[in-house]
Amino acid sequence: MARLFERRLVPADSPAAIMATTSAAFLAAMLAAAFLFVSYDASPFQAYYALFHEPFATLRGFGYSLVRASPLALIALGTIVSWRSGFSYLGFEGCFVVGAAAAGWVALLTAQGAAIGPIPFILFLPLAILAAYLAGGAWAGIVGLVRARLGGNEVLISLMSNYVAIFILQYLVSGPLRAPGSLPESRLFPKGSWLPFILPGTRAHAGILIAIAAAGIVWVLLKKMPLGYEFIVTGFSPSAARYAGIDVGRRLLLASFFAGGLGGVAGLTEALGSQHRLMDGISGGVGFVGIVVALLARLNPLAVIPTALLYGGMSVGADAMQRRASIPSSITFILQSLAVLLVLAFDVLRYYKINFDFRRGTPSSTAPQVSE
Amino acid sequence: MNGPSFVLSAFVVTWLTASLRLAGPVLLAALGETFAEQSGVLNVGIEGTMLLGALASFLVSFYSGMIWASLIAAVLAGIAANLFLAWMYVTIRANQVVSGLVFNVFAVGVASTVYRKAMGDSALPESIAMFQPLHIPGLTRIPILGPVLFGQTILFYATLLLACIAYFILFKTNLGLALRASGENPAAAASAGISVARMRYLGTLISGAGAGMAGGYLVLAQVGLFRESIVSGQGFIALGIVIFGRWNPLKAAVAAMVFGACDALQLSLQIFGSHVPSQLLLALPYIVTILAISGLFGGKAVQPAALMVPYDRE
Amino acid sequence: MKDFLEMRNIVKRFPGVVANNRVNLTIRAGEIHALLGENGAGKSTLMQILYGFHSMDSGEIRMDGKQIRLDSPKDAIALGIGMVHQEFMLVRPFTVVENTVLGMREGRGPLLDLEQASRKLQELSNRHGLALDPAARVGSLPIGVQQRVEILKLLYRDASLLILDEPTAVLTPQEKDQLFAILRKLKQDGRSVVIVTHKLKEIMECADRVTVMRDGQVVATREVRETSEHELTRLMVGRDVNLRAIKPERKPGAAVLQVKDLRVEDESGREKVCGLSLEVHAGEILGVAGVDGNGQSELAEALLHLRRIEGGQVIVNGADVTSRSVAEHRAGGISYVPADRRRVGSVPEMSVADNAILGQQRKYVRGLFRDLDEARKSAEKLTARFGIRGSGIDQGAGKLSGGNLQKLILGREILRGSAVLVVEQPTRGLDVGAVESVWQELIRARQEGKAILLISAELDELLNLADRIAVMFEGRIMGIVDAVAASVEVIGLMMAGIRPAGAANTGATMKEAPSGETV
Repeated sequence: MARLFERRLVPADSPAAIMATTSAAFLAAMLAAAFLFVSYDASPFQAYYALFHEPFATLRGFGYSLVRASPLALIALGTIVSWRSGFSYLGFEGCFVVGAAAAGWVALLTAQGAAIGPIPFILFLPLAILAAYLAGGAWAGIVGLVRARLGGNEVLISLMSNYVAIFILQYLVSGPLRAPGSLPESRLFPKGSWLPFILPGTRAHAGILIAIAAAGIVWVLLKKMPLGYEFIVTGFSPSAARYAGIDVGRRLLLASFFAGGLGGVAGLTEALGSQHRLMDGISGGVGFVGIVVALLARLNPLAVIPTALLYGGMSVGADAMQRRASIPSSITFILQSLAVLLVLAFDVLRYYKINFDFRRGTPSSTAPQVSE
Repeated sequence: MNGPSFVLSAFVVTWLTASLRLAGPVLLAALGETFAEQSGVLNVGIEGTMLLGALASFLVSFYSGMIWASLIAAVLAGIAANLFLAWMYVTIRANQVVSGLVFNVFAVGVASTVYRKAMGDSALPESIAMFQPLHIPGLTRIPILGPVLFGQTILFYATLLLACIAYFILFKTNLGLALRASGENPAAAASAGISVARMRYLGTLISGAGAGMAGGYLVLAQVGLFRESIVSGQGFIALGIVIFGRWNPLKAAVAAMVFGACDALQLSLQIFGSHVPSQLLLALPYIVTILAISGLFGGKAVQPAALMVPYDRE
Repeated sequence: MKDFLEMRNIVKRFPGVVANNRVNLTIRAGEIHALLGENGAGKSTLMQILYGFHSMDSGEIRMDGKQIRLDSPKDAIALGIGMVHQEFMLVRPFTVVENTVLGMREGRGPLLDLEQASRKLQELSNRHGLALDPAARVGSLPIGVQQRVEILKLLYRDASLLILDEPTAVLTPQEKDQLFAILRKLKQDGRSVVIVTHKLKEIMECADRVTVMRDGQVVATREVRETSEHELTRLMVGRDVNLRAIKPERKPGAAVLQVKDLRVEDESGREKVCGLSLEVHAGEILGVAGVDGNGQSELAEALLHLRRIEGGQVIVNGADVTSRSVAEHRAGGISYVPADRRRVGSVPEMSVADNAILGQQRKYVRGLFRDLDEARKSAEKLTARFGIRGSGIDQGAGKLSGGNLQKLILGREILRGSAVLVVEQPTRGLDVGAVESVWQELIRARQEGKAILLISAELDELLNLADRIAVMFEGRIMGIVDAVAASVEVIGLMMAGIRPAGAANTGATMKEAPSGETV
């Protein structure tokens, strides 16, 4: 009866067990990617060196990693707020786009001779953040409203709403906000509206500071505030929340607004920090990768920043790898997504334990106990 | 025939022809997805599956030139990809939305890596042989309706036939009853001796076949080449069509035509030089889907009760 | 009579529990065999194994002397074993006939032949006196009729062994008699019937033999003719107790909770509480009896504002609270122990400490933030005061046993100090020890002067705890009787909707002080 792998009756849920399965999944994904590298006649070791050296061991590369990590982290934080409240929102691509558009619009208004005109950055930044937050929040809030009032399925609605947002931006940059020239894009924002660069010699901008601050705020909200407690109760069990006097509909609405706002600010960091103009295709799938980052961080706000840095860094490394070793950067997509799929799949392993005594044939004994 | 009416009828013909043409692939994907959802699986991974199907059909067509073999390759690629998804959904019981979404990213990675590996870094996308419109003699000469209804490719007629077959299987056979029971009340299905896992595997694999074939449809009858953005959300549109069609293949066919019409209107208006922003029309199908799912009009769509709910016998 | 089916040395483990520990059970052809035991004794698990739903860890099953394998319900069905589960296994949007043929292969190969199936079903329902419309949607049928569908499903498959898990829980006494008549007829056809129950009376009434289970083991098998309720109780509980709560005398005080002409609807808009009026006094337990589904849950939910009140008034301590929100309501004096402990009363994924403040999360606040120290202190106090055993307040509440979880919920609701306590099915699914302590706590709360509305399907519980018992039937109160003077027969009749002569007719005229205050 005794086997090497014995099925547990309940999954091991200690942090160590979770760490172990997560790392195992990562190693397996890296192993799979290694075979792909070999198929390009590249040594996997050199490929991985290239993948991780540039983003984490060179100053310039690290700067880019920070640039890529900021929107990912903010979207991941939005994902945590909404998913922990039981609102399976997938519309961050849209929040990102409308947030970027709102921030960009405010930035363009502060240009010389525009409606507002040049204002000090210390005034501009709160205004831009407010605009991006409200835009993203409202964008997600509509879906929250539909779910709370009409009971519509937020998964599909939010997926569809991404496209609507993308078309709105497309319209703006090919119509009202279009700069003279051939490409559908806006004018360059005035210098006074750019997020300051924070590491000399790199493109790293203050967006990462915004992301770190947001991580702190989300952590405090969920762990330390009564509202966060209510969000979490609502997420685990709406019927228990209703029983506890929590207005479930209003909490969903609030959570969707908070989450969408974070997605909007993610768009702001990209627009004001890195592109400095609005253009079609500004999001490039960040809204989905951010969700993946949140999942990999196990919906823990404090784990988001390192995870986002890892994911952002890998995409920087992938570009370097493509330039130097002409290995297509799309392999990194495979590596990143495979890692998450395997993390999901390997969760099953927590149902098993290794029975070191299996040859002696000691069956696991469970003390008889009365169930309820 | 005087000028304005000729322009009008030309417009209507182009518009409706394009509507049906564009409805084909999403309808195919939606038909498959209907089986998955009726069995209790929300397969968001059809977006990525369509891409893999498109790639498979492109490569086979490019190397062999056999158009039917390419279509079969697309179907097989879809089934193979969804074998993995079904394993995640049913055996691992992972969160269906999450697995499907991440799979979509994975599929983009696989498709573009494989495409570059196979085609090299050639700048020009290679094009291939395609299915041509049938132009059934005689019938095409009927004004307006003729070219619209009888000027499609054989894939379009095959898709309509598949919609009828899908309806028949779901609602007129023991298998369909068992599949729907697995999505409504898996415990009851299991207690009647049905293997819920088998039904859900079946549903997911059928959706894989549908999505893979839809990808092949895009390449072989519409675009004639492969690019990473070839699917660009049509898999998600198919999810909307399933809901809009109330999990009924025949109604899904109607829904797909409505979506095709929105999409095609934008193309036709551009051709005829209209000033309506094309983005508004492009967004229209998505907005219509959102409204349909929200239940703002036509009453709320009631989904299978156990959709997205993993089932464990013990 | 010969042995038809034999289960030998069945062992089945669940997380932390041995549900079946070397269980032996023999069923003869043409008998009604009762499987008796408390909740959690392992009866349902054993039957799930026999139906192929659960795999067994070890043991063997023989039918007509030959060993059989039951890997899935499909195997069981093929061998002529059928089961009516406690929760009906019906697909609600399907019709009766669709539910019947589900999973079967017959007739026109892969094609559905609903017409022929309808004819066969009609014929069966005529033969067994089970009136039924094959084309009706199951979801729209009353519970009693749904049970009929379940039984016909088994007959349609020509089952030779029918397992019924707690079949009478949802039936009125009259419907129960009908069911027993059907079962006897099936027995005469030579079929075997196993009924799983924890109700002694039903066994004495209809079974031929009874097997008693306790703590996952078989204690005894008896001929019903040769045993008594007394012996069976002792076997089932394991000691010679007759669970009795000693309730000190207490004069009820003023009316604290007054409900006037209350109207409540269910999700589909059917009226579930139809103009109900009652009063609960300080230091009094008012029991609400009734067959499940006669509006009791809706009543409780409406009192807590978890369900919209369509009409009428709710008054607490003289103040009209009819139109308050849940949060105001909870702050304002009504506590509630819901029937569903794991989905409504608690959040199993969160810690004991977090669950201890559920519903009072806005009370443990310092400035903008949660006062975690204070919350932990009150959780410690709660676990100590109510003897909640577990591994501390940081453990997940889901890991508590049912009894300890119930004590956590009950304690939380008592300690918040509201004047009214609404308690729904407080001991459902608990073992005897836990039942005793829950009863003690309720009596203690009564002594402290709370007005308690106790909704329970267990007549025994009501007779032990309540001062007065109101019987609900189809959303109305059939009558209110003094618990001491009450007879089970009278209550039973009222539960079936028959108002016996002489029972206190109350309706909307419950103005005078209750008659049963001096016990």
